[in-house]
Amino acid sequence: MEFNIDEMKEQYVDHPFDEVEFVVDAEDMVAFAQACGETAPHFLDPKAPDFRAVPNYASRYHGRRSLPKGFPVNMMASFDAGKSVEITGSIRAGDRLTARSHIHDIFEKTGRSGGMLFIVHRMEFSNQDDIKVSTVDWRMVVRLDMTRDKKAKRGAKTQSGES
Amino acid sequence: MILDLHNHSVASDDARAKVENYCQWIQRRELPLDGFVLSEHRQFDSVSDYRDLEDQFGLVILKASEVETEYGHVLVFGVNDDLQASFDFSSVKLSLETVLSEAERCGAIAVPCHPGRPRVGMSAHFEQLGPVDGVTVIETLNGGSRGRENDIAIELAEQRGYKGIGGSDAHIVSHIGRCATKIEREIRSIEDLVGALKEGDCEAVSYQ
Repeated sequence: MEFNIDEMKEQYVDHPFDEVEFVVDAEDMVAFAQACGETAPHFLDPKAPDFRAVPNYASRYHGRRSLPKGFPVNMMASFDAGKSVEITGSIRAGDRLTARSHIHDIFEKTGRSGGMLFIVHRMEFSNQDDIKVSTVDWRMVVRLDMTRDKKAKRGAKTQSGES
Repeated sequence: MILDLHNHSVASDDARAKVENYCQWIQRRELPLDGFVLSEHRQFDSVSDYRDLEDQFGLVILKASEVETEYGHVLVFGVNDDLQASFDFSSVKLSLETVLSEAERCGAIAVPCHPGRPRVGMSAHFEQLGPVDGVTVIETLNGGSRGRENDIAIELAEQRGYKGIGGSDAHIVSHIGRCATKIEREIRSIEDLVGALKEGDCEAVSYQ
């Protein structure tokens, strides 16, 4: 499948497509911190002074959609290309977080395995005081040549069947 | 001088190394490098200023770019405003002929990198696209190469009379210094480096 990156950017980048609310649970914060291998009491003990979520905590939340409606990429053909978290404030137990999603970037690159399309889904988290606490970038990648190769193979099979 | 001519910092979307950490690694490991070049993917970082790090660590830190053409990836040394205006560095569909000629016109030099690599190396495209004129230097030693990729690059240079350079293609700190380039003259600026490469004053060296 050929993608027109400029058109996709024009249509989808920086347009909000999802908004979800979460209430931060102390037990969940502790479980996440433990899973990350944290040992500091301020991440593990809800009674500790300055108890707060680990820096990457917001990455445990998902929106209702990964891509905007009508986005011309099949999610099933994509895979995780990593994520990054920028922390701008603390997340505390009982906080009510609002996460707003938009596509932050779409770009192509080529590598040893062929062409790739990257889609960066950005979730911006604000707390009940409207303070931005975290920005999570989810990168998805679609292997373009694999799609093309599959089509070519299907075409070759059809042709050989016809001959 | 020994310069590692192909590295990526956090400015590239797939790299995790901060420039300061490269410097610290070179110093702590006592790597035989006098400096290195940052060749960010599909862009030229015209903003960052590494002069303080150069002074602190006694290293030469230069900036270049790695662009993508129909013949694979190409390092561009000597990027200036004219060259940045002449083609879209972010495109993955650049013409190698254009990159070579525009680099030449703007006083820079384009060097196909990892030419022995499938899909993104120059030699992989010769059969379909034919040979290309205007190449004088290629990257014969790349620290990220697998299997025979560097051998293919060296054979290509020997067959066509290209000069060779070496670069680590580091994306993480511990990969810097795997390959580099020996240059007889002193290099203090990107213009010095471009001059050396144009005159063939370069020899690829491996520390792997």
